[in-house]
Amino acid sequence: MDSGNGTGRFFRTESGAGLALISPTAIYALLMLAAPLGAILLYSVFKDGYLEIIREFTLANYIEAWTNELYRQVMIRSLFVSLSVTVVTVLLAFPVAYFVSFHVAPSRKSLWLFLITIPFWTSYLIRVFLWKVILGYNGVVNSGLLWTGIIDEPLQWINYNVGAVVTTLAHAYAPFAILPIFVALEKIDRSLLEAGQDLGESKFRTFLRVTLPLAMPGVVASVLIVFIPTIGDYVTPQLIGGPEGRMVANLIQLQILKLDNYPLGSAIAVSAMAIVTAISLLFLLMTRRYLKGPK
Amino acid sequence: MTIEKPEMIEFRDVHKYYGDYHALRGITASIRAGEFFSLLGPSGCGKTTLLRTIAGFEGISSGAVLIDGKNMAGVPANKRPTNMVFQSYAIFPHLTVEENVGFGLRRDPRSKDEKTRAVAEALEMVGLKGYGKRAAHALSGGQRQRVALARALILKPKVLLLDEPLSALDKKIREQMQLELIRLQREVGITFVLVTHDQEEALVMSDRIAVMFEGEIAQLADPETLYRRPASRKVADFIGTMNFLPAKVVAEDANHTDVEVAGFGRMHLSKDQVMAGNGGEGASVGFRPETLTILFDGQQPTDRESMGTITEVVYYGDMTYYDVKLDGTEEPMRISMRNVFGRPVLDIGTRTRVAWSPGALVLFR
Repeated sequence: MDSGNGTGRFFRTESGAGLALISPTAIYALLMLAAPLGAILLYSVFKDGYLEIIREFTLANYIEAWTNELYRQVMIRSLFVSLSVTVVTVLLAFPVAYFVSFHVAPSRKSLWLFLITIPFWTSYLIRVFLWKVILGYNGVVNSGLLWTGIIDEPLQWINYNVGAVVTTLAHAYAPFAILPIFVALEKIDRSLLEAGQDLGESKFRTFLRVTLPLAMPGVVASVLIVFIPTIGDYVTPQLIGGPEGRMVANLIQLQILKLDNYPLGSAIAVSAMAIVTAISLLFLLMTRRYLKGPK
Repeated sequence: MTIEKPEMIEFRDVHKYYGDYHALRGITASIRAGEFFSLLGPSGCGKTTLLRTIAGFEGISSGAVLIDGKNMAGVPANKRPTNMVFQSYAIFPHLTVEENVGFGLRRDPRSKDEKTRAVAEALEMVGLKGYGKRAAHALSGGQRQRVALARALILKPKVLLLDEPLSALDKKIREQMQLELIRLQREVGITFVLVTHDQEEALVMSDRIAVMFEGEIAQLADPETLYRRPASRKVADFIGTMNFLPAKVVAEDANHTDVEVAGFGRMHLSKDQVMAGNGGEGASVGFRPETLTILFDGQQPTDRESMGTITEVVYYGDMTYYDVKLDGTEEPMRISMRNVFGRPVLDIGTRTRVAWSPGALVLFR
């Protein structure tokens, strides 16, 4: 008979083995994610002294974060930018995913996916700088247009504004948006599309009634994968955005590192998180009829 | 006055190439209105390709496919008077049973209530009354099959195409569905075209069967003719079991052929027993296992009789299959005997009398 001690027996049960397997990840996540998050939450309800943090409970930081016109504007701009990026990216990603899934020979698909990931070979920072080179005052676009004589002086509106931020972020997140949609499209049984046509619908109608609803889980995933990180992006608005393109991450950085106001910076960060969570949940709620997946 | 249209589908010298691969090699055949027609053959013989040319999922390289007298060249799948039951059933997983069945009714001019009623009737017809609100992915294989049938039949197509619809089902459910499909077909009177690799299924269900090998129709006939008078050795081998013995043609005239077969002696065969297609290996005769009979003590032969030794016994419950090596032959013959009450199952090595009749065999040359 097996007579192991209590711990040994525990790790041989299925749930025990499962816990043992995820524990390194879980510990890492607790230390690196939950602990800082807890610290931020605490800071956000403390008072800010001149050179130190006064450990007294207050909601003044939140009131400041939600009522100050400047902070509100930055938050709204951040939402606008990330929503624009999401819409642009997902709309552009869908045709690419569709093409690779439906029109590329199966033996070539992995090659195509490989090509789609090429932008990741360079660091994010370098890619952002490259967009600076492309869109800048003496950048590729301007000097090209000047050389061909289409314009007489460099365009100012293509750089250091919200539009430039959207362009740069949409490019950076394209692969993230393509892959979930591609996976969802790959899972669609091709005979379903033949069935749609067999039952009298045109190819386009079949797309609307069969392909699109079945691809929705991938679209939803893409939307969240693009929307959530872009709203907190720091590098692109900092380098490309100019003064008008600053987003919430830049504001947080300013409060915490430049002005040394940890409590207010934390309150803005927590508020931004709450807004992202609320919008994401609302979005999931709206699309839930597409997500009650088969089997 | 009605004009009789006996032909629902007509293939005129249909060829199909996939690159260099010649998938359909000159199919010429017609399927009659209201019949249960099967395309039977091993995998890769082109039967599914042929079915898909009717549905419009597959173009043809040359020739013509006509449905109800109209050439289907250039007519897309959604404009053809055909509906299909797919091998995988192709039930839309994001829709309920009801929405699946009503999928093709979008442009139907009837009111919403009438459509709802039509859907309910279609579900009742396939034995799924009350299942309308269920999620499609919560159904069993047999139920999906029925949904696929209802979804196709509700559109009242001229032709219903069935692509190996029963191959994914358990034996019991499969046999039940076979009978139900026959009943449905008689009820609705629609032309059914079934693709199958299961010869038994084809024999049970069909009015006529086209046996296909390598992109060609080897024989097109009703089940009984196909079984009793297979047009070639290949067809005979594919449908059921057949014993083949080398034969020598010794005399022939316009109506009869005389052959000499080792172990059986000389036989006088009528013209309809003589088939072409022995695959260029001289001549051979074929016996079905049930056309040979083991004679038990005291039984009188019906026609002729030979002696042999049992070399193998396979017991199936209702039947016993014996391999019997007849005196003077090289290979044993397979003989099936029904296990009627009181009849013993014989042992290997038993000497036995075997009765046979020249009328039951087929000559391939």
